[in-house]
Amino acid sequence: MKTTRREILFFAGGSAVGILMTPAPWRLITDTALWSENWPGIPRPARGAITARYTNCALCAAGCAVRARCVAEQPVSLAGVAGHPLSHGALCAYGLAGHHLPYHPARVTRGSEREAMAAVTAAMDRLAGNEHMAVLDLRPGRTASWTYRRAMAAVKNGVYVAAGGALANAAIDLSKARTVLSLGVPLLEDWGTPGNVMAARAGFHLIQADAVESRTAVMADQWLRIKAGSEEALGQGILQALGGQTPVAAAEATGIAEQQFLALAGELRQNGPALVLGGARSKSAAQLNDALGALGRTIVVRREAPVPDAWKKAAPAVDLASVEDGSIRVLLIDESAPGAYLPWSAVEPKLVRDNPVVVTLGWTRDGYGRHAQYLVPAGVYPEVTDDLPPAVDSVAATFRMSVPLVQAPEGVVKPEEWIARAAGLQVGDTLRERADAVHRAGRGTLFTYAGGKSVAAKDVKIDDFWKALQAGACWMDEVEPARRPAAVKVAAGATRQAADLTDDLPLVVVLTEAPSSPLLSKIYQESNLKLGPEQVAIHPLEARAAGVEDGARAVLETLAGRIDVEVRVDAGVPLGAVLVASRPAVLDVCGAGVGAKVVRA
Amino acid sequence: MTIRGKIPFLAGTLIALGVGWVGFPYAINQRRPQPVDFSHKVHADKAGAKCEDCHAFREDGTFAGIPSLDKCSGCHAAAMGTTVAERSFIDQYVTPNREPQWEDYARQPENVFFSHSVHVKRAGMRCESCHGPTGGSDSLRPYREDRISGYSADIWKVKGTNHGMKMADCVDCHRTNQMEQSCLDCHK
Repeated sequence: MKTTRREILFFAGGSAVGILMTPAPWRLITDTALWSENWPGIPRPARGAITARYTNCALCAAGCAVRARCVAEQPVSLAGVAGHPLSHGALCAYGLAGHHLPYHPARVTRGSEREAMAAVTAAMDRLAGNEHMAVLDLRPGRTASWTYRRAMAAVKNGVYVAAGGALANAAIDLSKARTVLSLGVPLLEDWGTPGNVMAARAGFHLIQADAVESRTAVMADQWLRIKAGSEEALGQGILQALGGQTPVAAAEATGIAEQQFLALAGELRQNGPALVLGGARSKSAAQLNDALGALGRTIVVRREAPVPDAWKKAAPAVDLASVEDGSIRVLLIDESAPGAYLPWSAVEPKLVRDNPVVVTLGWTRDGYGRHAQYLVPAGVYPEVTDDLPPAVDSVAATFRMSVPLVQAPEGVVKPEEWIARAAGLQVGDTLRERADAVHRAGRGTLFTYAGGKSVAAKDVKIDDFWKALQAGACWMDEVEPARRPAAVKVAAGATRQAADLTDDLPLVVVLTEAPSSPLLSKIYQESNLKLGPEQVAIHPLEARAAGVEDGARAVLETLAGRIDVEVRVDAGVPLGAVLVASRPAVLDVCGAGVGAKVVRA
Repeated sequence: MTIRGKIPFLAGTLIALGVGWVGFPYAINQRRPQPVDFSHKVHADKAGAKCEDCHAFREDGTFAGIPSLDKCSGCHAAAMGTTVAERSFIDQYVTPNREPQWEDYARQPENVFFSHSVHVKRAGMRCESCHGPTGGSDSLRPYREDRISGYSADIWKVKGTNHGMKMADCVDCHRTNQMEQSCLDCHK
């Protein structure tokens, strides 16, 4: 029998129909998808012994205790440490994903370390009499900060500039407060030690003044929906009401009724002790706390953890604003640990006009690396050893270290050592020296995370004390009787809110938190739960007036500059405001409360 | 279609069905024997062992999985019976202190976090619910590995059960038992 072409085609057709009725093609598709999960280059977690290691989170000043579950020495998940006297077992969303930070797409591991050192040395040689070498420390209060101060004392015209708030030597005792007025401070989402705030939360009545419905506003007992950028006006109005005056102008500026000012003043006075929280540059918060008697009750003096006597010959810490304009020839910036970011528009005027040398030591180019001539790559949490200054809500001094959970890549430097070397200062193991000084003071308790118990520091041998700190333990000083701190000093440049508002810049900037860890960035960007790094949000009517639509490219303009952004149109943003994620590139051109406008690109 | 056309069509269909249902499942997996002919049944019946005696939880609550040689050596430092399998196990592994390279039928992919502790201790599930009647087996079946994906064939269907160990199986079980589910439960 002769097989025809038609029969072959029928056979092939039948085979095709038949094979579709079997699992084979579908299994092949799935298998191919699964196979792609194991392509070369896809990272594979290590396998090995499962252990628990302890450290302290260095992602913010809270320094929460961290328990890391490690597989073959590699951290795979982080959690809080139950029973910790300050963080109370809590860890924020960023802290939970902190071990991803070394793998951040913006991570820098190579830089111009030798060239930077040569440039610094050459510039130091030609320092004129009225010129300075300066260190800008974004997280003052660390042992490294003392090294910077000693280094600046050792060089000609050295200046140590500390970034930070007005409460450098004072702490806020939330447990004593009965009424808390927050002038736009994200108390329940990004302030102090999250676990400590939540532990004290039931004890105080929270009044949150916010232009937008922030998470703190949602969780507060009372939300004062004020006009964007009118926090200072609100504070001044309450001050007037406390003095028995009617705050007519403040009512106009904030959108809050005059009677409500009087009611607020009455509540703050009657349901005390009261506490007013404002930004680092909030003059009215300082005045209100003074007027309400918060100093010495809810705002108390906190002494510093002991330091070796030999270190005390050090340069004083100064505010950037107090440094003369055009006087810094060499500026070294330690931004390895996240801290307060001073806008470049505030830093740049302090530099000499002809060839200043600016070196930043950081892990990403997103901060001052955009402006500095040299970026020296530094380690980042959790791959470096560094101590953490006490959080703003820690009444007692603390000494605890962030100890490495992963190994730092080759080529990164330790900023403390690099700056000391540049200044010609010989330093040893400063953390060990500090720990010994703390131990010698013979006071306070040591809380060990693995054991979950506190012991008197004086009952621990000095070597064991150091070993415990290296294993993530925390030393807490004895709590002193509450003392009234000196009147809170507010940095120059304060209360500039709304001052920049003009007809040409009609929108008030409202800053929101920006996601930082890679995992959270991905989740937030895909879910639109938070503004992305280049996004701003405005009300639909403002968008219509600016001629932009949702998703459109635009330019955000302020007096300090302009930045390309993507617009999100959101009816939740109040009229007259523009919501911006607070990242260094944004902070360079605008801060909270300044005037801005959105222009179609 | 004529009779002459239908015959090759049906022949093609039947052959494809045979290849797809019988030949393909056989060909897609490669088989590897386990290093030791281990009898769960003997250990359960004669030694009175329970699953958790060998497949134990660590002190921190994590699941240790397949026991290491130390666990086996505790009883089998010397032969306890007369079987060839035990003699071979002692000669090849216990005496030279060499860890057997067991093939894991139920290993989840790297991108999955699975907690035995939550399922066994908290939900009170029995081992057999997922792993089938392995505890009563007299010998270890060969490990079948998918030639393309490299995963155990058990993810498609666990012997002695009507389910596999794919994500859809996990989701089905959670839905049936009205348990909460989110991506981050397993894909942390």
